[in-house]
Order: sequence, then structure tokens, then C-alpha cells
Amino acid sequence: MTPGAGGDRAPRPGAVYVLPAALFFAFFAVLPLVLVALLSFTEWTGIGDPRFIGTDNWTRLAGDPLVLTSTRTTLLLMLFAWAAQTALALPLGVWAAGRQRNRAVLSAIFFLPLLLSSAAIALMWKSMLDPNFGVAAVVGPWIGVPDGNLIGTPRGALICIIITVTWQFVPFHTLLYQGAARNIPAVLYDAARMDGANRWQSFLRVTLPQLRNTIVTSSVLMLVGSLTYFETILLLTGGGPGDSTYVLPFLMYQAAFERSEMGYAAAIATGLVLLGTLLSLAIVRFSGFSRMRSTLEGM
Amino acid sequence: MAVSTPTRSAVRPAPRAGGPRRSVDRPNWAAGALSLVWLAVVGFPLLLLVIWSLTDRRDYQRNGPLALPDGIAWANISQVFEARFGTYMLNTFTVTAGSILLTLALALPAAYAIVRSRSWAASLSFRMFLLGLAIPAQAVIVPVYLIITRLELYDTLRAVILPTVAFNLPLVVLILSGSLRDVSRELYEAMTVDGAGPFRIFWKLVLPMSRGSISTVGIFVGLNAWNGFIFPLILTQDLNNRVVALGLWHYQGQYAVNVPGLMMAVLLSTLPIFLLYLFARRWLIAGLAGVGGK
Amino acid sequence: MTNPLMSRRSLLGLAGLGAGAAVLGTAGCGGSSGPQGDDSKALIDIWCLQDPVQNRVQQAAVDRFNAGDAADAKLSTFINDAYQQKLGVAMGSEQRPDVFFNWGGGSIREYVRGDLLVDLTPTLDADAAFKGRFLPAVLEAGKIGAQYYGVPLRGMQPIILYYNKEVLGRVGAQPPTTWAETLTLVDRLKAESITPFALAGTQPWTLLMWIEYLADRIGGPAVFQRIADGDKTGWSDPAMIKALNEITALVDRGGFGTNWASVNYEAGGAGTIFAQGKAAMHLMGSWEYTNQVDQQPEFAQNGLGWTTFPVYEGGAGDPKAIVGNPTNYFSITKSSANVADATAFLKQEMASDAYVDDWIKAGDVPPITGLESRLSASPSPEFSAFVYGMVRDAPSFQLSWDQAVDQKYRDPMLTNLQKLFLGELDANGFASAMAAL
Repeated sequence: MTPGAGGDRAPRPGAVYVLPAALFFAFFAVLPLVLVALLSFTEWTGIGDPRFIGTDNWTRLAGDPLVLTSTRTTLLLMLFAWAAQTALALPLGVWAAGRQRNRAVLSAIFFLPLLLSSAAIALMWKSMLDPNFGVAAVVGPWIGVPDGNLIGTPRGALICIIITVTWQFVPFHTLLYQGAARNIPAVLYDAARMDGANRWQSFLRVTLPQLRNTIVTSSVLMLVGSLTYFETILLLTGGGPGDSTYVLPFLMYQAAFERSEMGYAAAIATGLVLLGTLLSLAIVRFSGFSRMRSTLEGM
Repeated sequence: MAVSTPTRSAVRPAPRAGGPRRSVDRPNWAAGALSLVWLAVVGFPLLLLVIWSLTDRRDYQRNGPLALPDGIAWANISQVFEARFGTYMLNTFTVTAGSILLTLALALPAAYAIVRSRSWAASLSFRMFLLGLAIPAQAVIVPVYLIITRLELYDTLRAVILPTVAFNLPLVVLILSGSLRDVSRELYEAMTVDGAGPFRIFWKLVLPMSRGSISTVGIFVGLNAWNGFIFPLILTQDLNNRVVALGLWHYQGQYAVNVPGLMMAVLLSTLPIFLLYLFARRWLIAGLAGVGGK
Repeated sequence: MTNPLMSRRSLLGLAGLGAGAAVLGTAGCGGSSGPQGDDSKALIDIWCLQDPVQNRVQQAAVDRFNAGDAADAKLSTFINDAYQQKLGVAMGSEQRPDVFFNWGGGSIREYVRGDLLVDLTPTLDADAAFKGRFLPAVLEAGKIGAQYYGVPLRGMQPIILYYNKEVLGRVGAQPPTTWAETLTLVDRLKAESITPFALAGTQPWTLLMWIEYLADRIGGPAVFQRIADGDKTGWSDPAMIKALNEITALVDRGGFGTNWASVNYEAGGAGTIFAQGKAAMHLMGSWEYTNQVDQQPEFAQNGLGWTTFPVYEGGAGDPKAIVGNPTNYFSITKSSANVADATAFLKQEMASDAYVDDWIKAGDVPPITGLESRLSASPSPEFSAFVYGMVRDAPSFQLSWDQAVDQKYRDPMLTNLQKLFLGELDANGFASAMAAL
């Protein structure tokens, strides 16, 4: 990165302008990243000082069946939530990119979930999913669950979480796709039409390739963002029924703040950071996103 | 926390500003149908939220989930406020305002330096922020808790503000420096003619030129702070330091079987942001889109 | 929202960080710790939960004590969610309270192991009159090992079998007194499309009451005591396995209906379907009565019945034994400079007539002997008399398992129990999962 372009003679700001932000960030975000790795080799109840215990936490992690279950659920949730959100947000975003008045009005409604907190959304859905007094009592019978027991089965609970987070996050991704779709040059569509492409074909040949970068951005966001599903799970199912909706961040929360096993929680968290980094790298590599990044860094 | 996760999105190429639009929009039935289905999916729960929050508790239990209220139960509102909702709102305002101000105070000079400084510190910081985008707050909450308690800030509103700011900084710095890159060399030159130093340039040129992106990042940080859950959950305890999002969770227990009361609390917690949306929708949406979409 | 429920909820970690989220040495958080006497009188710092009703009663006791010459006492109150954390911090530091509120069992076992608490056994044994004022079952429930570390400080919350009089009347049935009757009644109610027992399955602590009672009825209190004392093989005790099997059988039989796993205790609630007659019975703590009075006054007045948990035919346990929250306790820290004065405070006030009457007027039933005639001052004399009689006659009062076990076993125990109810684990699977922890 070379700052600005070199030519002007205007005075340059010194390092003092960047240091407050840099040090602040280093202290509250980078340092914790280092600490979490260090803490994973300690035993610490939260009282007193951490005690170094070598790799015990990691051995325990490898042998903990709940870690395996939670990892599986975390990945499943990631995958299905990604698929559901992308399948909805992409077409909705392209549709909302149109300038018609009715689209603008509907879009205004579509974005409303953006305004609610995870806590608000989870509690709203929780009330709706009550089998006696919620919508589950009405909707259940339509979909083959006459007793409204939607969130009470392992699979049902997982589906309920996927629906809730999809409802919550699709508006944001719609916004991304809308912005990107508006930037697709009209000439491309005109050219496709001249080649005799119908709407579906021009969607496949023009829209999708042009949205490629947005798909990558949005997907990375969703995958990294799936860590925030923790809040929804904590409020909606508490990990249940049984351990069927335990995910890694939830497991970490329980270890740290309900059982005071901070060292073990740090090991889970470190695993989580590694998992997230690997996934992001994989997506970036797969999609050639890295080229874009280097373009930017050259700016 | 719709946009809580730091992203790489700001790293995307600059928009083709004012690029050509599709010349003709033909009707698109498939997407149109999908949009109507989605309208129902989005609208129905929200409609129920409003209806339930205005229903009397006993009516709600008696009449089932889809009934319209017999009359509007205003008592739900007073009930929510009796349960310290006012305090929670005030705390949330404090956290939100504090987070926005501190973020801007740190990020604006940093963005200026990143774009204009030739010091190695600026370039190193920029790299740190780029990599920092990928640090998820959820995964490092244990050490954040350790740091906050060692600073003796545990159970204060500052304990919420500080990490909220930290985890918003990377994206905010990237957006701000991105927009500053568009400021032309000639403008800096012009300032030099007046004999301005770096601080005067920052004050007279950089700040005014960043106005648009300041509102973008302000909205982004504000929304994250308003709806934030995990930092208040872990870093505060006392009722007097509780924010709204956390308060909602506690209402759940406090209201025992009072779903309408809970829904009213949910509704009221969103009201300030909804009003903002109502009167400044374009601005708010542009802010959010600016964060992820450009 | 009733106070007993609040304290229970946080114990279960449902309300926030809840129990046991330990903190580092944060100095100076929370109320005013550390005595600060300004004259020669010692100052006893007493930590309590912040709660208008409780604190009024406790403050009155403190005022009476301070009127004497011995020492001054002072209440420091903390909100429920924060209490265990603050206490953990204080116990880890040098600024401990002199006297503190606790739930007995797992909530203080760590401190006992750390030798931080005063063993009250000699004090109680030396003063038989004082010891004799407390109901034995409740006093026993506060023991850690063979020693007493707590003096009961408030009312009792046993688990009670509630029934809907109107519903049972409609099917022409009496509340069940034996397990066989229970099963017959389940079939009968099912035939009428009525859920036999309301159960809030999304909150696993509601499931706990069933296994607590069944294990106690089938094998007696020793079965679980062995586990609480740290012997994990106790989970495969034949009586425990039998109790677990009865649970599975009851679920399969439809004892809780079909959608119990989606039902909330809060928001929507098992209590409401029970009051509305969609469910006939509800096994819940004594706080459920207060809830129903608050939420469904007509039902609480006319339709709500209560009884003891049925007898298990051939079981080794005493049919009068009960489970639940015996009470809360005051304990004294060993490092306190005022152990003698603190003990004097407990001895003077915890069984005093004024203190006990204050609790009765507040609707609580304190674990004090000879209260029969005084309970008429209660806002709900009939129910209070039932609770009192139940505990007075009980040979044992098992502390809720989630409070009795060490904190780190609580979540896995509740999760595995939920799996048992869901049929994902059978009795032996449950026992081996628990033993593997």
C-alpha cells in the first residue's frame, strides 16, 4: 500500500494520527486473539490466576463427544443457513434492484427485520413456536405436525433455527445483491437480448456472472456471521432438545460462563477461530477472491 | 445485529458511480411471485408482533394466536415501563452514542493517516485492520472478559462500549479510508497554499469531505451497538447497567406467562430505530448498503 | 413473578449468566463489602439477594439485633443474577462478607472444600433448644457431608403435585395416590384427549422433578446422596435405573402429551394449559401456587387442587419424603473478624417469633417447628398449612439435584435427562453417559 499518490506537497500526518486507533484495536481485539490461544493451555476458573496445564484441554477437546456433535451441528447450520439465505437473497436482491415504485415499497418492508436485534427476533419466534398459544398450533397441522411440536424435536429445532436466522439475515444480503445488481451495465442485458436470450437465460449469462464477487462477499459474511447464531440459539432453544442444537460458540459459552472452565472454553474458542479462518481461506481460494484483494492492496 | 460481522466487503472495488442502468425493465413474474411470498414471510410475524403486543394477556391465552384484540391493551406499555424499561433504554442510548463517538474519534484520524501518511506505522496499522476484519467477537469473548475485569471495568457501560468500538473499528477504518482516497490531490495542494498543517487539513478538508461516509459508518456502528447482545451479556450484571437487548431476555422470565407484555417490550426496543427508518429510510439503507455492498 | 421463582430460575442459570459464572478479582464491584465500623462495636456485613419482600423481613431482623449492645449488622443486597458471581469474586479475595445468603448444596460445596466456612455443628449441638426450632428435614438438607454450614433463613419450596379439580371431576377421577393409579389415570385422561401432566419440556429443570421424586420413592434418599457425594457409579444403582425406566415408560404412555418438548415454562407456559384444563395435573414447586394466584385468580380460587407425589408400590423410599428447595441458608465465613457476633445474630433472629411471623405474613412458610396455629396469618392459610404439614412430616427433603451436584455436572445432567425424556437415551444409556463425565 502506498499512501495516496505521491505528487502533492501538502504536509503529511504523522503516525500519531493512526496510533490511537491501532493501539486500541490491538489491545481489545488482537491481544484477545493471542490470549485465547494461550489460555487454551491453562486451567482457570475465572478466580485467581490461570495455571499452565499443557495440552490437557486439547486432549479433552479431542475426546469430548459433545464437541463432535457441536461441530457437526455448527457446520450443518452453516451450510443450510447459507443455502437458504443465498437462494432467497440473490433473486430478491436482483428483483429489488428494479426501479419500479411497487418494488421500492415492498423493499421497504423487506428490510424491516434489519432493525430488530437478535434477541428481539429470537423471542418473537419463540412465542410463535409455542405449540399451544403460538402460530405453531395453527401452522403445525398444515405441515403434518398436528400437535404443533415444531421446536421440540431435534430436527425440528434445527429447522426452526435455520428459519429464524434466514428471516433475520436475508434482508441484509438482499441489500448487498440489490446494490450489486444495480451496478450491472445495461448494455450487457441489451446485448444478451439481441442474442435472443430470454429472461432466464440472461439471468444465467449476465446477472449471475456479474454478481460473482457479491456472492463471494455475501457467502463469507454468512459463514463468518454464523457464529452470531449463538445468540439466537441461546434464546430460542438453549441448545436443546437434548444437545441437538449445541453449536461450538454455545458450548464455549457454557464452559466459560456456566461451568467456569475458562481454559477449556478458550480451547474451544481457538478451534473456532481456526475453523473460521480455514473456511474463509477456502472460499477465497476457490473463488479467486484473493485477486480482488490484491487489487485493493495495490491502491 | 444484522450486520454485526466484520467483512471483507469493503475491500471490493470501488463502485462504478452513476453507471448505466438497465434501460428497460420487463416484468419478471418468477421474481415477482417470490417477492410476494417473501412479503408474507416477513410481514406476517411482524404483524403478529404488533397485534400481540396490543392484546390483553387473558385474551391472548383465550383466543388463540390469530385473533384480533378485543380492545387495545395499553396497560402492556405501562407494564413494560414499570419493569425498568426506561433505564434500559437510557443505557442503550448511552452505549450507542458512546460507541459512535469513540469509533469516529479513533477512526477518522486513522483513516486520514492511512491515506496520507508515509510512516510505516500507518501502513502496518492498515494491514492489521485488514486482517482484523476476520476476528469474530464471539470467539474471543473469554479474553475480552479477562481484560475488562482486570481493568476493573466489569459491570459498567464502558465495558460494553470499549469492545463494541474495537470490533467495529476495522470495517469503519476501511470504509473511511476508502472514501478519503477519492479526495483529489489538488484539494490538499490548495490547503497547503493557505499554509495549513496536518491538523488544519484534517479539520478543514478531511472531515467535511468524509461527511457522507461518516453517516454510513455512524449508522453501522449505531445499529450494532443498539442491538448488541454478547458484550452486555458477558460484561455487565447489574440491573442499572442493563441494555435493552439483554433486558428483553430477562423480561421473558419476569413476565411468566405474559407474551403480550414481552412482545410490547420487543416492539418498544425497536421503536427508536424504526422511527429513524421511517424518516430517514434512504439514508439508513444507503448506510447499510454502503457497508457491505459497494 | 414470584420471588421464589426468581431465585430458582437464576440457580438454574436460565436468567443470565446465572449460577457460578465465576469472575476474576474485580475489586470493589457490588455493594459495600468490608465492614467499616466507626466505633468500638463490630460491624457484621450480611449479604442477601435484592428483593423487596425478603429484604424487608431481613432488615427488621437486623434492626432488632442492632438495638442490642453486642454488635451492629448491616445488609448488603445484590440482584439475583449477579449474586453468585459477586460471591465467587469475594470468596476468592480477602474481602469476604461475614454472613451470606446461599442455597446450600452445590452453591457452597466449593467453599467448604476450600475451608472458608464456619462449621456450625458445634453451635447447633450446644444449643438443643435453638436447633430444635428448625424442622429436621430442612436443617439436614443444608448439610455438606456430616456437618451443618447453614442456618435456614426463609420459607420452604417443596415440589407439589397440583391438579385441576374440574378436569379430574369431569372424568370422575381422584388425584392419584399410587403409581399404579397414576398410570391408570393417564390412560383415562388420554382417552378424553386431555394431557395428563403439563410439562414445560424446553426447560430441562422441569423434567428434573420427576426423576427426583421417582428415585426417592423407589430407592430412598441414599440413592442420590451417593451421587451428590461424588460417586458417579450411583447413576447405575438398580433403583435409579428403575426410576429412569419409569420415566421412559410414562413418556411413551403419553403422560405428558405429545408436544411437551415444545412447551415453555415461561411465556406461554405449562401453567396456562393446566389452568385452562388442557392438562389435568402439574408437578411443580410451591411457587406455582403464587403464580396461579397472580395469573389465573379464578382458577387458583376454585379449580386448583394440590397433593403429595404418589406412593410407588414396593418402593424402598418413604412416601412422605419430599424433594425441592428446602429453603435458603445463612452461612458464616471463617475469615470473618466477627464470627461470634455473627453467630449471635443468627441465634437471636433466625427462629425468633417476630422474624417467623414476618415471613408468614409475606406468604412464605418458614421451616420452624410448632407453626400450625400461627399459619392462619398467612395470605393463603390453607395452602400454607399443606406445605407446612408436608415438610414437617417428611423424613427427608432432597435438595433439587441441579443445586445439589457440582456446577460442572449440572448442564450435562439436564441435557442427558432431556435426551432420556425424548427417548434418545434409555436408562442404561443415561447412567453410562453420566458416569462418563
